[in-house]
Amino acid sequence: MVGQIIKKQLLLLLRSRVQLLLLIGLPIILIAILGTALSSFMEGGTVEIDLKIALIEEEDEQEQIDRFIRDADEKGLPAEAVAEIRSSVAQITPIQTLKESVFGNESMEDIIKLKLANADEIEKLLEDGSYSTIIEVPKNFTYDMLHFLIFAEDVHPSLKVYQNEAALGASIVQEMLEQYQEQFTIGSFVSEKGMELQVAEIGEQQFGEIISINQEKPTSARDYYAIGMAVMNVLFIASTIGTIAFQEKKNHVFNRIILANVSRWIYFIGIFLSGTIIGFLHLLIIFGFSRIFYGVTWPDLLAFFAVTLAFAVAVGGVAVLLTAICYRINSEMITNFFSSIVVTIFATLGGSFFAIGKLSSFVQLLGDLTPNGAAMSAYLGIIRGEGLADISNHLLFLIIFAVVLIVAAAFSFPKRGSAA
Amino acid sequence: MLELVDLSKKFKHMYAVKNLNMFIEKGEIIGLLGPNGAGKSTAISMLSSLIEPTEGDVRFHNKSIIKNPAPLRKIIGVVPQEIALYEDLTAEENLQFFGKIYRLKGQLLKRKVDEVLEQIGLTDRRRDIVKTFSGGMKRRLNIGVAMLHEPELIIMDEPTVGIDPQSRNYILETVKRLNQEKQMTVLYTSHYMEEVEYLCDRIYIMDKGNMIASGTKDEIKRILSAEKTILIQAELLNDTFINFLHENPTINRVIKEEKEITIMVPKEINIFPILVKMAEDAKIELNSVDIKIPTLEDVFLHLTGRALRD
Ligand SMILES: Nc1ncnc2c1ncn2[C@@H]1O[C@H](COP(=O)(O)OP(=O)(O)OP(=O)(O)O)[C@@H](O)[C@H]1O
Ligand SMILES: [Mg+2]
Repeated sequence: MVGQIIKKQLLLLLRSRVQLLLLIGLPIILIAILGTALSSFMEGGTVEIDLKIALIEEEDEQEQIDRFIRDADEKGLPAEAVAEIRSSVAQITPIQTLKESVFGNESMEDIIKLKLANADEIEKLLEDGSYSTIIEVPKNFTYDMLHFLIFAEDVHPSLKVYQNEAALGASIVQEMLEQYQEQFTIGSFVSEKGMELQVAEIGEQQFGEIISINQEKPTSARDYYAIGMAVMNVLFIASTIGTIAFQEKKNHVFNRIILANVSRWIYFIGIFLSGTIIGFLHLLIIFGFSRIFYGVTWPDLLAFFAVTLAFAVAVGGVAVLLTAICYRINSEMITNFFSSIVVTIFATLGGSFFAIGKLSSFVQLLGDLTPNGAAMSAYLGIIRGEGLADISNHLLFLIIFAVVLIVAAAFSFPKRGSAA
Repeated sequence: MLELVDLSKKFKHMYAVKNLNMFIEKGEIIGLLGPNGAGKSTAISMLSSLIEPTEGDVRFHNKSIIKNPAPLRKIIGVVPQEIALYEDLTAEENLQFFGKIYRLKGQLLKRKVDEVLEQIGLTDRRRDIVKTFSGGMKRRLNIGVAMLHEPELIIMDEPTVGIDPQSRNYILETVKRLNQEKQMTVLYTSHYMEEVEYLCDRIYIMDKGNMIASGTKDEIKRILSAEKTILIQAELLNDTFINFLHENPTINRVIKEEKEITIMVPKEINIFPILVKMAEDAKIELNSVDIKIPTLEDVFLHLTGRALRD
C-alpha cells in the first residue's frame, strides 16, 4: 500500500514537466554559471601561483651510483651482464630527474622556484614558511634505489616530503611527486632487463614515503557549487512533495484514500518515503550530471552514498512535516513560506552561495545546523579526502534532524480528515 | 443495515445537521433531497465515516462506526459532490490507483478497470489526462472510481450535476441495474426531482440541517393531497396582482418567478373565477392557468415555501 502511494507520488511529479525542469535544470545551469564565473576567485588565480620548493640532498648522487657499480662488479656476474648494468645505470638518476625533468620542466619554469639546500639548513627552511614543499633526500637514496630496482633487494628508498598547509599549491607539488613516483617505478629501463615480473611487484610496492603535514586538497569552484546547488535544490523536493500532497486534500482524493480504509499513517509514511526516495534520486541525478560534465568526482563513494542517503532522509522529514502542517492549517501557505524564505536562509547559512562559514565559527555552526549545511560540510569533507569517520558528526545530525521532524509531523498531522 | 441516530454536526456556532434520524435497508435506493446548504453533504460525510459527528451515532449492522469505521469502509463506495480525481493522471491511471488502494490487483483489477470504463463510456478516452476532459466526463469518472470495488452500499452526492441528459440517463440506468442485479444499496442525493422520482423507493427531505419529511414516494406526495398546485402565466405581472394573491385568505402559498406564479389552494376551492377577477382589477392579461400534478418539488414548496433549486 505504501508502495502504491509512493509510485503515484512519483508519477505525479513526473507529470509536472515545468516543476521537473526547474528542479533538475536550474541547479545544473547554476553550477555551470557559478562554477565558471567564480573559479578564479575560488582558486586564487592559478597563473599567479608562485611555488617555492626546497630540495635537500644529503649525499651526492654520482657517488652513490659509483658505489653501486662497484657492488655490481664484486658480485661476480658474467661480463656481459655487468656491461649491461653499467649502461642502464647511467639512465637511473632519480635525483637528477626530480631536479631537472620534474621541477625544472619548461612549462613549470615560471611557477616553480627550486632551492637546493644542505642538510643543516632544514630547520631554517621549515621555519621560513614560504616554501610550499620541502623534500629531503636521505643518505643512500639513489644507491638503495638501484639495489631495489636492479637486484630487487628488499630495501625501501624513501623521500621525506614536508608540505606547508598555509602555502599555496602544496597539492600541486604533491601531485607532481606522485606522478614522478609512478613513472619511476614503472620506467622502461627496468623492462629491458627482462625483469617485467618484478616490475609489476615493484609498482605495487610502496616506494617513497610521503609525509604530508596537511592533506587538504583545495576545492574547485565547480566542486563547491555542484554541492552548494545540489543541497539547496533538493530542499525544493520537500516543498514540491508537500504541495502535491496538499493538492490531494484540496482535490478530495485524500478523502477517497481514507474511505478505502487506508490508514492515514500509511499515507504519512508514503509521503515521508516519497520525499526520501525522490530526494535521493534528485541528488544522484545532479551529482551524476556534475560528474560527467563538470568532472566532480568523489574519492570515497561509500561516504558519498552515506551522506546522500542521510540527507535524503532529512529531506523526507521536511516533506512530511510540511505536509502535516498544510493538512493541519488547511493551507499551503507553509510550503510557499518554506520554498521562498526558509530555503533561501538555509542555503545562505549552509554556504550554498559562498563559504559563509569562513566568516566565523559561530556562522559555521549555524550553517551546520541546517540540513543542507550539514550535508554540504560533509560533502566538502569527502572531496577534501576525509572519510566516513571524519564526517560522522554531520551524518548523525542529519539523522537526528530527520527523526525530530518526523515526530513533529506525526503530532501535527490531523487525526481525522475533514469533508470540507 | 445503516442507521443514523440523532446525528448532529456543529461547525463553529452553527448546526449544519441537527438531530438527524435515518435508516437504510439492504437493496434500497434512498433519495436525499434538500436545497443548497441543507446539510446533505455533511450528513453523508458523517455516515460514511469521513467526519466525526458532534452528537449522535452512526450504526452499521447495529455497531457504532464512529470509533471503528473499518467494517463500513470495506463495503461502501462514495461519489463525492466534488470531482475527486488526479487531474494530471489519465482516466486509466486514476482507476488503477484507486483500484489498488481498494486492494484489487492483477487480472481482476484489469478486468474491473475495463468494465468501469465501459460503464461510464470512457473506454476510448482511457489514456487521456483527466485535465483535458469535459466537466461531464470528469463527473462520469468520479462515479466510476467509486464503483470499482463493487461496493454493497454506494453513496452518491449530486453525481449528475453538469452531465448531459444522455449520459445522465445512462448513469441512472446503470445505478438501477446494479441495484436490481447485484442488490447494491444506493443513497442518492440530488437537486433533480425527476432523478429521485425515477430511482428512489424512499425519500428523505432536509432543510437547514433538519429532516422535514420522509417516507415512500407516494407517502410524501400524499402530504399534498389536501392541496392543489396552480400555475399562472401572464404577460407583465404587476405588484397589484401579486398583492391580491397574497391578501386572499384561501390561497396558502404564493411563489413568484420570472413570468409565472405558483400558488397552492385547498382542494375544494374553485379558484378560477377569483383569479380572472383579480387579473381584470390589476389590468393584466392571463396567458394560462393550469392545475399541476403534484411533484416532489411541490412537496418541497409546500413544506418550506421555497423552491428546491434557488
Ligand atoms: N467544514 C465546514 N466548516 C464550516 N461550515 C461548514 C463546513 N461544511 C459545511 N458547512 C456548512 O454547513 C451547512 C451545510 O452544508 P452542506 O455542504 O452539508 O450542504 P448541502 O446540503 O450539501 O448543500 P449543497 O446542495 O449546496 O451541496 C452550510 O451552511 C455550510 O456552510
Ligand atoms: Mg452538498
